[in-house]
Amino acid sequence: MHTSAVVTPGLDLQASFLELLDGFGLSEGLAHLLWLPLPMLTVLVAAVVGVLVNVWLERKISAAVQQRIGPEYAGALGVLQPLADGLKLLFKEDIIPAKADGLLFTLGPVLVLVPVILSWLVVPFGQNLLISNVGVGVFLWIALSSIQPIGLLMSGYSSNNKYSLLGGLRAAAQSISYEIPLALSVLAIVLMSNSLSTVDIVNQQTGAGILSWNIWRQPVGFVVFWICALAECERLPFDLPEAEEELVAGYQTEYSGMKFALFYLGSYINLVLSALLVSVLYLGGWGFPIPVEWLAQLLGQSVDAPLVQVITGSLGIVMTVLKAYLLVFFAILLRWTVPRVRIDPLLDLGRKFLLPVALANLLVTAALKLAFPAAFGG
Amino acid sequence: MFGFLKKVGDYTQDAVSAARSITQGLGVTFDHLRRRPITVQYPYEKLIPSERYRGRIHYEFDKCIACEVCVRVCPINLPVVDWVMNKATKKKELRNYSIDFGVCIFCGNCVEYCPTNCLSMTEEYELAAFDRHSLNYDNVALGRLPTSVTTDPAVQPLRELAYLPAGVIDPHDVPASAPRAGRLPEQVLETLTKAAAATDSAGAPNA
Repeated sequence: MHTSAVVTPGLDLQASFLELLDGFGLSEGLAHLLWLPLPMLTVLVAAVVGVLVNVWLERKISAAVQQRIGPEYAGALGVLQPLADGLKLLFKEDIIPAKADGLLFTLGPVLVLVPVILSWLVVPFGQNLLISNVGVGVFLWIALSSIQPIGLLMSGYSSNNKYSLLGGLRAAAQSISYEIPLALSVLAIVLMSNSLSTVDIVNQQTGAGILSWNIWRQPVGFVVFWICALAECERLPFDLPEAEEELVAGYQTEYSGMKFALFYLGSYINLVLSALLVSVLYLGGWGFPIPVEWLAQLLGQSVDAPLVQVITGSLGIVMTVLKAYLLVFFAILLRWTVPRVRIDPLLDLGRKFLLPVALANLLVTAALKLAFPAAFGG
Repeated sequence: MFGFLKKVGDYTQDAVSAARSITQGLGVTFDHLRRRPITVQYPYEKLIPSERYRGRIHYEFDKCIACEVCVRVCPINLPVVDWVMNKATKKKELRNYSIDFGVCIFCGNCVEYCPTNCLSMTEEYELAAFDRHSLNYDNVALGRLPTSVTTDPAVQPLRELAYLPAGVIDPHDVPASAPRAGRLPEQVLETLTKAAAATDSAGAPNA
């Protein structure tokens, strides 16, 4: 429908930063080296703050759904509660069970957390507001997310506990069965935007504002992707790897202190990440419901003016985060609505329902692309 | 071929109905979001126990005649009445009286049957202890009166649901002057006596 030719470069902090250092007489290589840690640290901090906000939201929204008050003494409205949780876990004794495999036991949670954080590499908050515009963007995310079950299985197996082992096995089975429909629904998007890069996928959705978002062209893909993302995050309708009624806490059973906190952090970062990716793939990423170019034109401003660039850049970040947290809210609401499924209906849903539906969706998308190349990104 | 198509159709129907019920469920949870909690922040706020609340038993040693009726009507013969016969006066002499509140079920039978009304039930319900033996109250402990929720300066007393004005659910911010729903016992009594007086005066000429 819209080619990327109309896309404006937008806010490019890296170029401005390098230009500034160049003005101080630094060499280009050194300036680049100084630039590199900045976006990484920013994203790391953003991810951790995102988790804290997420934990607070989870507690508060859960409380509201159940007509409770939730945390309210730690800080105003209990905003410091997640911090208190983290601090508690930080100071708890770190126990490695006597008969456990110490090395794998320690490596497990790290292997769960690192790929999730690494996936933030490809999450765009604006045209140039991401760590790296990797050409294989979404594919990188899918590849990284399949490292996670190895870590889960590792920690489950090395705990030397039957519940941990069962939890780890379930996590691996679940991740593997939901990876395929997830990848297929992403593939349908990729087919329409002709690119794996997250920036290109969002650019293909700009132009007509809310009307050009992928959710209108991929409603089935959106639903399939969201269900699979919840399953990958082990959110409540699909949280049976750690089903407390059956498996104590699944693969986390033997963990305490900071290692447990890593799992906790990992699962919440993963939830925020999935919500961000849904907003990038289906809800137009940083795009405002009304295109900012139109708004700038209406106000008689040039899109390339520095102030307008800063405003549109901030608006982009706000929009991405807003969409993501709307989805997180929906996930929390879903948590208190839908009961946990058993392991066999879970795998049934993944393999017998989502997989064929995602496959059909992909084929229909391909057919539509051939029939109406204008509307489906020919 | 048609069998397969029917299967596909049935499966689609199942999926649609599942989606519909999930949406319905989401509607319910979403609706609950706008209902406000009526949490009573316990150690700082407490509900006022209702009249005839059956809390910890109060006992007046001086009124007791050691008849042991309380022991006989108790489902588990719980009160311990320690008395001796004074041979000289030929009267029972009460030495000790105790009830173990770790065992008591607060049925109130002893209070009901006590001939001298030396037993009564208080509003006290906070009977947590580190040692269950400390719940065995002797006559001194039984004679203590609990702090009332309404007079305790550290506690914000709140009315229970049945004592709130009609239609009000949240006990916070209800003015003390707001009357409870329905009529008070004395109001009921007043209308009864009025009605009785009316029938009396109406029936008098006939009699």
